[in-house]
Amino acid sequence: MEEYPEELRTPPVALAALVGCSDHHPAISGHLHSLQPPMNVLALPDFSKVQVVLARKAKDPAAAGDHPPGGILRRDWLLKHRTRVPAVVAAMFASDRVSGDPAQWLQVCSELEGLKAAARPRNVKLVVIVVQSSSADEINEDRMIALRKRAEVDSKYLVTYTPSDALELTQSLNRLTNTFVELANTYYRDEGRRIKTRVEKKSFSSIELNIRYCFKVAVYAEFRRDWVEALRFYEEAYRVLQEMIGTSTRLPPIQRLVEIKHVAEQLHFKVSTLLLHGGKIIEAVTWFRHHNASYKRLIGAPEAIYLHWEWMSRQFLVFAELLETSSATTQSISSVAADNPDRGLTEWEFRPAYYYQLAAHYLKKKRSSLDIALSMLVNANEIDGRAESVAPSTFVGQFSRLLEQGDGLSFQPIDDEEYIHYALAEGKRFQDSYEIIALFKKSYESYGNLKVQRMGSTCGLEIAKEYFSASDFTTAMQFFDNFAQLYRQEGWVILLWEALGYSRECSKKMGAVKNFVESSLEMASLPVSSDDIQSLGFKECGPAGPPSLPERESIHKEVLELVSGESGIRSVEESNDLNVTEGNPLHLEIDLVSPLRSVLLASVAFHEQTVKPGASTLMTLSLLSQLPLTTEIDQLEVQFNQSEYNFTITNAARPQSTSKITSGQQNNRVEIAASLSLVTNKWLRLTYGIKSEQSGKLECISVIAKLGPHFTIFCRAESPASMDDLLLWKFEDRVETYPTKDPALAITGQKVIQVEEAEPLVDLNLGDSGAALVRESFMVPVSIVARGHDIYSGELKINLVDVKGGGLFSPREIEPSTMDGHHVELLSVAGAEWEDESKKEADKINNIQQSFGLVSIPFLKIGDTWSCKLEIKWHRPKPIMLYVSLGYSPHGNEINAQKIHVHKSLQIEGKNPVLISHRFMLPFRRDPLLLSKMKAVSENNQFTSLPLNETSILILSAKNCTEVPLQVESLSVEVDEDCAATSCSIKPGSEDLANSGLLVPGEEFRKVFMVIPQVNSSTLGMGTVLLRWRRDPGSGEQVSCIQEDSVLTRHKLPDVNVELAPLTITLECPPYGILGDPFTYFIKIHNQTQLLQEVKFSLADSQSFVLSGSHNGTVYVLPKSEHILSYKLVPLASGSLQLPKVTLTSVRYSAGFQPSVNASTVFVYPSKPHFKVADQRESRTESVAAK
Amino acid sequence: MIVCIAVVGHQNNPLYIQSFTEADDALKLHHIVHCSLDVVDERVNNPKKSGPLLNETFLGLLYPTENYKVYGYLTNTKVKFILVTTDLDVKDADVRNFFRRFHAAYVDAVSNPFHVPGKKITSRTFAERVSTIVKAFGLSSAG
Repeated sequence: MEEYPEELRTPPVALAALVGCSDHHPAISGHLHSLQPPMNVLALPDFSKVQVVLARKAKDPAAAGDHPPGGILRRDWLLKHRTRVPAVVAAMFASDRVSGDPAQWLQVCSELEGLKAAARPRNVKLVVIVVQSSSADEINEDRMIALRKRAEVDSKYLVTYTPSDALELTQSLNRLTNTFVELANTYYRDEGRRIKTRVEKKSFSSIELNIRYCFKVAVYAEFRRDWVEALRFYEEAYRVLQEMIGTSTRLPPIQRLVEIKHVAEQLHFKVSTLLLHGGKIIEAVTWFRHHNASYKRLIGAPEAIYLHWEWMSRQFLVFAELLETSSATTQSISSVAADNPDRGLTEWEFRPAYYYQLAAHYLKKKRSSLDIALSMLVNANEIDGRAESVAPSTFVGQFSRLLEQGDGLSFQPIDDEEYIHYALAEGKRFQDSYEIIALFKKSYESYGNLKVQRMGSTCGLEIAKEYFSASDFTTAMQFFDNFAQLYRQEGWVILLWEALGYSRECSKKMGAVKNFVESSLEMASLPVSSDDIQSLGFKECGPAGPPSLPERESIHKEVLELVSGESGIRSVEESNDLNVTEGNPLHLEIDLVSPLRSVLLASVAFHEQTVKPGASTLMTLSLLSQLPLTTEIDQLEVQFNQSEYNFTITNAARPQSTSKITSGQQNNRVEIAASLSLVTNKWLRLTYGIKSEQSGKLECISVIAKLGPHFTIFCRAESPASMDDLLLWKFEDRVETYPTKDPALAITGQKVIQVEEAEPLVDLNLGDSGAALVRESFMVPVSIVARGHDIYSGELKINLVDVKGGGLFSPREIEPSTMDGHHVELLSVAGAEWEDESKKEADKINNIQQSFGLVSIPFLKIGDTWSCKLEIKWHRPKPIMLYVSLGYSPHGNEINAQKIHVHKSLQIEGKNPVLISHRFMLPFRRDPLLLSKMKAVSENNQFTSLPLNETSILILSAKNCTEVPLQVESLSVEVDEDCAATSCSIKPGSEDLANSGLLVPGEEFRKVFMVIPQVNSSTLGMGTVLLRWRRDPGSGEQVSCIQEDSVLTRHKLPDVNVELAPLTITLECPPYGILGDPFTYFIKIHNQTQLLQEVKFSLADSQSFVLSGSHNGTVYVLPKSEHILSYKLVPLASGSLQLPKVTLTSVRYSAGFQPSVNASTVFVYPSKPHFKVADQRESRTESVAAK
Repeated sequence: MIVCIAVVGHQNNPLYIQSFTEADDALKLHHIVHCSLDVVDERVNNPKKSGPLLNETFLGLLYPTENYKVYGYLTNTKVKFILVTTDLDVKDADVRNFFRRFHAAYVDAVSNPFHVPGKKITSRTFAERVSTIVKAFGLSSAG
């Protein structure tokens, strides 16, 4: 695009001329430039210049119509209108000159006349500007009219220009601008119309003029920014031009075509630019397609064919650049393409990359035909001589000889032969190769940005080929190797063959032996079958030749000869040969992803997955190659992760090499195989025995094949079970065999074998002792019996693991999560025998933590036993898993001897032994008025409320929840330290518990305490219940494992709310009544406050009693005193009878009181009972019964 | 005239590629077929919203190169068929018809119990049938 002249590339800008008063020109032209759209200004200092400018041009259009034109478009026509022929001429006169003396006025008139004469033939519009030095300047009105008449301009085109003050200046500039724009538009419209009528009336003598007129109309339209008309006429010109192709006879054939193509190119460029600027990307692409289709076939004369390709390349390049710079391309291409499926446009046609690629492609074509054309010439000097002084002529696309005639220059037409010479000379000057690379690179990068790999790689391959032909082998090889990877991945063998062929040639030229051998071997092992060559005539395959089996074989042979040192290949760049010798050995590595896996694939399978130490097992080594010829391997070296197992297999058929190799490696196993020849696609299977001593993992790492004296291939061993298919061969329809004879082994075989550790001959026992109880020291006996092994440096590891933790064996993992707060703790490890020699062994206890213990075991001979006890304590009920593992070595003398491990585990349940509960009771028939009880029950219900200074009763009960009987030793309440002993006194109700503290499972043990709170506190700590118990020793078998000490279980009592009861009501009546015998029923109301208390009471009648006393009333109880209501009752019936119901209401607290049914019941005997007073115990039972 | 027809597998690997040209441009055709896979990817990943049918197998014109037109077809098992032709004016209906017949031939070929799915198609019968279809296409488009 850059090679086009600027006037063609940019949209046309209107041109105005200023004459006279040159000191004002910069201001005006600056203003016009800044317009949108801008206007160019031709500033002429005096009036003589304008005649020169306009008059010289004026002759051309007159001459045009008379004789047949020499060409289609004039080369300089557009430039002329852009820079030399103004649309408007403004004559500037100073006001003092206009209104000055007659001499000045006459001069003004004559200047104006001259200007008019010059402008009229071209229809250039005239503006007269009178420059006022100040706004106050008065201009003679008559003179102004006279001036306007002289100039023959409309009154509005006579403008005054006042630069003196800023406001006036802006106004005058705006006036000027409007006038200029209007006149310029008129000018271009008039000119356009004038030529348009010629086109419409077909008043032209030749088709060339038709095109020229169309072009001019379009350009004038562009000046006016009438893009639609411009586009229409450019297209019309283009269409007419196409008609001309077959008919024109004006020039010799080659030049004729060249001219047409040049013009077509210009018209096409204009059309495309206009379309793209209008955002009509689809139309633009369709237009380009049309352009391409119309001219693609116009190859022209065979000797000038390269001109056509050059031209084609330029079309694509220019369109690519247009597309790239066009803002329209930023919108989503795929949506554009999707919206127009009917036009048959495809995605890439909207991408510059596509056009760059084709531009490069045509440039390549141009280069090759140019080379042919050049080679056909006898000598190069001939062209230079004959091409001299040929230059572009006045018409677009024409060339002619430039002759100097005196002081002027003239053009002389040239014939086709001369033109060809000229064009060849021009063509020779350019380095097409760089241009091609640049174009492909642009395309490659552009595709790369779009993540279009394959198109990109095709471009990349072209770049690489260019570099290759330019002998830049390093760069070329990089490219080839890059793209080979893509073809390899997708299995495009033929394309890979081509890339590798180039790469191989590059490395050959560079003398890179390793690369050469690698690419040769890969090529030789490619799945190119003989079928392909029948249909594919691959001449373009580059240096590799057509892909075929014979070609593969010859490559293979060549490489074999090279590595065996029989021959060297001469490299081009360096003087030394490409060879493999002692001083220059070659070592190839094939790993799991290497493309060379098809050259040599090594699979190693152990016949067993695990083996006992000392036992022998079999191992099969299988090798596969896809090389076309049978390959003889001199020696194979098999390497393991434990180097002492490494062994070497030598080829019996090649004795001379083996002796040399074995000498280098000491005391390694050497096997001799009858033959080590690799046949194409056939597994070479070798089976050897392996005897392992050491337990652990034995893995075959690699196989090193030696193919010549100085050539080795290091091949990583693969397990048949996890072996990938060969990347390229997996698509081939080939015979597939198993790497091992046994097909099952081929599916499951591994290159790793696990050598087990020796069978332990030691018993590890854990005593099962049932469930553990919380807080006791639970003992688990562990015993070790050395049955068949001595135990050296034994270690016992103990792990406690939460059962819910999911069987985590390692203490480190579970410690933070489950052992927080240590609900279960390993306290110690104690053993009878061990304790005897505790002094000696004490330091051997390595570590005992809450959940993990490590204990060392003394040396034990066969038959010895050792035992210990694990002391574990539960703080919370929780099941745990106890893991015990013993590691020992059967042989004492070896330091790093293999350890043998025995594992045991046991699940132990941890349980709560007793469930302690408590209950508070108030004394019988004595009720304090507790105000807190009257408040909303739901709100503050947590605490039990107790009256201050009153005796309450606390009943504690402990229930055995285990499955074993427990012996309770004591039950007591310990007052917390923070509560002083005075705050509350808790005394056992009875001196000691009954002697039988034995609790069978499920039984409950109770004890009564008297509680007298002495401090008024809403949260009074009641202390802790201490229950001392032990497992019942009588219960048999677990004696051994349970410690004899009693266990203390603590239970915290909840806090209570203590408050002073303002009123206390005590009901008093005898313990029993006798039918018909009256007794007194007292209701004592005790006021504990300093206030007078008003209490209402009522007593309901009861049918069982006859009652005397007031039924209801109000009493006033004095502060700190007691009021007694007394009733005389006579029972009328016997049995347990309900006393008359009393209801008391404290007016102050509006609290009612009713005694409970229990408290207001009395037993009435039918007659007076007779008790034996002698028996103390009896009476007590009696009293209990009375309750 | 059809110059090349190709069957491309799931990993974009060629399963069958056959060129019908006297000139030595078979390699170029390989390149063209390989490049056209990019367009297939693009079409499959960005399906046309306004497309007539969602499960349309015929992908249409993939891209025009300087002398060829490339058409694509995607079977419901995601196997791609690529057609390269030198005819500049081809009716879509003809190409569709061709692909339909070619698809039938492909289905028959891979239905062979001795054919391993995912491997190259080496059947001679298939090759013969394909060349018949290709010739028939030339006749129909010419006439």
